[in-house]
Amino acid sequence: MDSFNNLLEGFATALTPTHLALAALGVLLGTAIGVLPGIGPAMAVALLLPVTYGLEPTGAFIMFAGIYYGGMFGGSTTSILLNTPGESAAVVAAIDGNPMARKGRGAQALAAAAIGHFVGGIIGTTLLVLLAPTVAKFAVDIGAPDFFAIMVLAFIAVTSVLGASRVRGFASLLIGLTIGLVGLDEMTGQQRLTFGSLHLADGIDVVVVAVALFAVGESLWVAAHLRRKPAKPIPVGRPWLHKADLKRAWKPWLRGPMIGFPFGAVPAGGAEIPTFLSYVTEKRLSKHREEFGKGAIEGVAGPEATASASAAGTLVSMLTLGLPTTAVAAVMLAAFQQYGIQPGPLLFERESALVWGLIASLFIGLCLLLVLNLPLAPVWAKLLRIPRPYLYAGILFFASVGAYAVNADVFDLLVMFVIGVLGFVMRRYGLPVLPAIIGVILGPAAEQQMRRALQLSDGSLTGLFNTPFALVVYGIVVVLLSWPLIRRLIRKPAPPAEPSPQVERPKVDA
Amino acid sequence: MRIRNWLAVVGALAVVVLVPPLLTSSAESASTLRSLRVLVPNSPGGGYDVTARTAAKAMEDADLLRNAEVFNLPGAGGTVGLGRTVSERGNGKLVMSMGLGVVGSVYTNKAPSSLLDTTPIAKLIEEPDIVVVGKDSPYRSLDELVTAWKANPGAVQVGGGSSPGGPDHLAPMLIAKAVGLDPRTVNYIPFDGGGELLASVLGGKVAFGVSGVGEYRDQIEAGQIRVLAVTSGSRLSGVDAPTLREAGVDVEFNNWRGVVAPPGISDADRARLVDLFTDLHGTPQWREALTRNGWTDAFAPGDEFGAFLREENDRVATVLKDLGLA
Amino acid sequence: MHTVVNEPVDKPVNKPLSRAWLRERSELGVSAILVGLGVLVLVDAIRIHTDFAQRGPVGPKAVPVVVGVGLIVVAALLARDVLRGGRGEAEGGEDIDLTEPADWRTVLLLCGAFLANAALIGVVGFPISGAILFWGAAYALGSRNYVRDPLIAAGLSVVTFVLFNNLLGVPLPGGPLVGMF
Repeated sequence: MDSFNNLLEGFATALTPTHLALAALGVLLGTAIGVLPGIGPAMAVALLLPVTYGLEPTGAFIMFAGIYYGGMFGGSTTSILLNTPGESAAVVAAIDGNPMARKGRGAQALAAAAIGHFVGGIIGTTLLVLLAPTVAKFAVDIGAPDFFAIMVLAFIAVTSVLGASRVRGFASLLIGLTIGLVGLDEMTGQQRLTFGSLHLADGIDVVVVAVALFAVGESLWVAAHLRRKPAKPIPVGRPWLHKADLKRAWKPWLRGPMIGFPFGAVPAGGAEIPTFLSYVTEKRLSKHREEFGKGAIEGVAGPEATASASAAGTLVSMLTLGLPTTAVAAVMLAAFQQYGIQPGPLLFERESALVWGLIASLFIGLCLLLVLNLPLAPVWAKLLRIPRPYLYAGILFFASVGAYAVNADVFDLLVMFVIGVLGFVMRRYGLPVLPAIIGVILGPAAEQQMRRALQLSDGSLTGLFNTPFALVVYGIVVVLLSWPLIRRLIRKPAPPAEPSPQVERPKVDA
Repeated sequence: MRIRNWLAVVGALAVVVLVPPLLTSSAESASTLRSLRVLVPNSPGGGYDVTARTAAKAMEDADLLRNAEVFNLPGAGGTVGLGRTVSERGNGKLVMSMGLGVVGSVYTNKAPSSLLDTTPIAKLIEEPDIVVVGKDSPYRSLDELVTAWKANPGAVQVGGGSSPGGPDHLAPMLIAKAVGLDPRTVNYIPFDGGGELLASVLGGKVAFGVSGVGEYRDQIEAGQIRVLAVTSGSRLSGVDAPTLREAGVDVEFNNWRGVVAPPGISDADRARLVDLFTDLHGTPQWREALTRNGWTDAFAPGDEFGAFLREENDRVATVLKDLGLA
Repeated sequence: MHTVVNEPVDKPVNKPLSRAWLRERSELGVSAILVGLGVLVLVDAIRIHTDFAQRGPVGPKAVPVVVGVGLIVVAALLARDVLRGGRGEAEGGEDIDLTEPADWRTVLLLCGAFLANAALIGVVGFPISGAILFWGAAYALGSRNYVRDPLIAAGLSVVTFVLFNNLLGVPLPGGPLVGMF
């Protein structure tokens, strides 16, 4: 109740015309800059920091909230339309979002993403209001063994995206793991696969890998087999979500935040792993499993809601503990400090008006995001009607600018080219691209958490399972692995007489 | 037809060649009127970035400069930016924002350029590290911690916010050496910045943490974490903890940040840059920025900074060689 | 070396046959790439010297060794699959016509446009190299409008430059004439 009253006061602060205008400006700027190649929400916030210098703190943070959510949505927009994710949380959205756009359902994909962000953000922020102190207490209890258990679960989940041929899926996963090895070993500082190059010391950014495999690889592959005859433009289709779309998307929108929020709240949780877990969950639960990878709306709706809720979760640990768990949070923390405010356990008491104003402005920012971007979705989607040569030339141009602008280094362009050629070869020989991306994301994280857990226990293997949380996750892993067996045991008595031998036969082969 | 094609190509060429210079001309003409480029070797929002942008803004506000352009060239713990700075030999209009972290990165990354190749301009600020435990930790004093540590180094995990070679890694190694522990036995666990480390300290995952004091002031005040010692030479206001020396460990250690210029710049350029930062140090804008960010003023110009840099370089090299990392 | 030794023996009968055989099984090349990667990862892992402070049973070598061995195992399994008649299914798509043979000229032109940008960006600046990238890529993909194409390329490139360089403060190289006015 107390927090409810505070929130009402927060709305009173945030709903002044000036603050509303700042929130709207933030959303627009954030979206516009998030759409630019190579600039994710963290960069967007950092680059726009000077814009807010003249504002008083409340106004500045209200604007940040808008920029943050706008930047996230902007990253998804390019992911869906051009297959070039603008940030790591938007990588998964490209898998089904881009095929949807190619089929003329770009407006629907963007709408599903925008509503997903809205729903995820609203649920996430509500949870922030209700649960912040509780979650914060829980968050610091999550340690390396728990993370490693989640990674194991995630690796099990990868098997559902390996595609038709397991061997080729595994080959792709291992390619991703190899790319993930590049760089200085985080625990000991030893060089791995850097060949002495300083440019490789930090490893290869997952966004660069994703853009190279998705966008550059695809452009080359299309070049090799360009359909030259009928120059028919991509059909525009209906501008709005159909009833059938809503029916398929509403559950993923609601499920996403349940995965995203807890991940965002814990340190080192981030958004990549939960968006991927959301994707495989939706694939498992969907009645249209065969459409995944070819334009299933659930594959956009779930991960986008997850990403947004994870962003809200990030704010929990930042506002209550002063823990920046993502790059954006770190930038926002720096912004707080610019105003002489130190986020931490005392922030809610000391700067109550500011914090609740910020939280209220998150709600307002999300509403504005929806109001401003939903009508724009069909407009954006028309972008794909430009002639194919321009479209693919534009994608390559866009990808190059993104790779170059961040570090102003030609080396990044060459890395992108090499991985792009790899993406071309993978397409030619039916190696699915998704497991490679997952490998790049999961590999380094899993290795780091495993080694950290073992170090915490001073080398004892019990360090991997000495927490209740980890044991629960391993329990789930065991159930998932033995699921075919369990299902057979359950099914056998149910239909007593005829079909059991027929049901069992294919299982034995698999 | 042909002519139209040529006109289009010529027009396009004219646009790409002429428009960018026209649009950047205003900024460039200011370059003759004392402008400065500041290279930040880590990403926006990082420590060197905040220092550089704060300094640049203070210079502009105090009219020391017309235009200070800050740009980021992150990579390999700052050594990519260092390489660029060293390659800009003779450029008197460029400085790099840097600090102790870059000194260690040069070794761990086996970088070809060293900080000793650069022209030292000024040391600006310092930030002491703190030795910190969670409020439920069994250790009440540094003495108790050191006793337990010496009894079983493996079981006493040390968390730090920097990768091997960084400030949070060097501090516990120096402490270990001073109390007679082989640095190789130290169970150091790197975390991705002070924030992630804090969670582990609060959750009691590590026996103790070593990190910069700035990020933790609020938690200290709230009583969620306990500071056993500060690594600076004198006590810190607002932190109820002894210095390492007072607690019987003969180590003094500070994380610091400063600026260096490319090698081979003219004496006049060097003097101008040193003067610029000396002037900055005197401005009220910089004073105010120091208190706002909780930085300790540690100004040391030119040669003084150069001597300091050499000392720090030697100290870091010794520790890392002991550990087999350099 | 080996081919030189084998050639006289194999040439008369086997070569045309083996070429067709190989072409049919070109996916073995993927196996070869995987083996190459695996060996690279293993060699690199062995090279890591362990003469430094390290705690815990798992050091920096363990995971690369697992990945390297995994790559080689998967390469072998893939080769077995290919030799038994398995084929990876080339990816289809809205803009892709798999009934046509691969058009290598277009691919090479596109690669050329991409690499030209990488090679020239530091020399002639982003506005020029970016325009070359866009026009080159559009040309490679079959656009032959010599009036519209260069103008669009130049416009896009300059707008992007201004957006990044002037409005966002992310510096891009401006070209030879910057600073001349």
